[in-house]
Amino acid sequence: MDPFPLADAEQVVSRARRGDQAAIEALYRAFEGPVYNVARRICRSVEDAEDVSQETFLEVARSIRKYRGEGSLWGWIRAIVASKSLMRLRRNRYRETEELHENVMPRRREDGLLRMDLEAALERLPDVSRAVVWLHDVEGYTHAEIGEMMGKTTSFSKSQLARAHERLRRWLGEEVAV
Amino acid sequence: MTHLTMDQLLELRDGLTEPGGAAARAHVAHCPHCQAELERLHQRVAQLKALPTLTPQRDGWAAVRSRLVKARHRRFAWGGAGGLALAASIALVLLLRSASPMPPSSSPTTQAELEAAMLESRLLEEALTQYAPERRVTDGYTARVAAELEDRISALDQELQVTQMAPAPDGDRALLELWRQRVGLMDALVNVHLTRASNVGL
Repeated sequence: MDPFPLADAEQVVSRARRGDQAAIEALYRAFEGPVYNVARRICRSVEDAEDVSQETFLEVARSIRKYRGEGSLWGWIRAIVASKSLMRLRRNRYRETEELHENVMPRRREDGLLRMDLEAALERLPDVSRAVVWLHDVEGYTHAEIGEMMGKTTSFSKSQLARAHERLRRWLGEEVAV
Repeated sequence: MTHLTMDQLLELRDGLTEPGGAAARAHVAHCPHCQAELERLHQRVAQLKALPTLTPQRDGWAAVRSRLVKARHRRFAWGGAGGLALAASIALVLLLRSASPMPPSSSPTTQAELEAAMLESRLLEEALTQYAPERRVTDGYTARVAAELEDRISALDQELQVTQMAPAPDGDRALLELWRQRVGLMDALVNVHLTRASNVGL
């Protein structure tokens, strides 16, 4: 089921295919929020997320003729924003300075006062790891799909997810005593 | 006791069947530590999905629309070049026809009118190219009207190409009608840019 249904979607898409700007704006208004959310969860900065969102809707306007109604409209648009976000990560070439990420983390104390919340911990993850966590655990992409989008293997996606969860567990102070 | 790795726990959480999956499941059934880890991973997905939706700080539609209009102008610039090429190829056809010993498919008057319409269209296009609207600040209303006119001209160019490839029964009269329509639309487009849309009653 489409989590972001659009009223009169068929008609809006048909008009957008003919270049009707009002229809493209209707698509923008309907999906602006979820598109930005995916972009922001993957990209490092607000500016990147805003830019990726714009590029996503430009691509939607350019490629709407290719959308044949197979699968949900949101699924189609989400694939575009996910791909654009990953491209942005590659373009920016944020260095995966894992040691830095480790070092800037507050150390957990016995009383747990310096534990991070999930939002902050997610933000601290290396870019690729964060993208894999979001695409797999929240958006529901498979490891094979993520690997393909990233130009990597399925195993790469799996190992990134495992390392990310190990970090989250540690940073959130949730390691179970053995 | 050796506990499951994070990879193995995630495989179990996601219901993936990997070699050794049965052994991992058997281990979890008897290991409170791994049971707790697995439960935490299930909860993590729920926690991630429950994070607040991040929303843009400002309305980005104006920026998207502006980039769409610019892209349309770029496309139209190519379409304009295509229109010139189209005019040149039709002129060549007319020239060959007039040089041919075969009787022309239309009267000399129609042919002269056709050439005049094509020339007028080309002059208007050159005037627009010199004005270079894509390098000027355009208000939203003007941009919208111009975009509509450009769309109609693009559609008309396609129709012209089809008519040229498969001539209509009434010979060059159909071509002439289409070229006159093109001149009218080009004229309106030039006016929109030169005088702004509000002054041309569109």
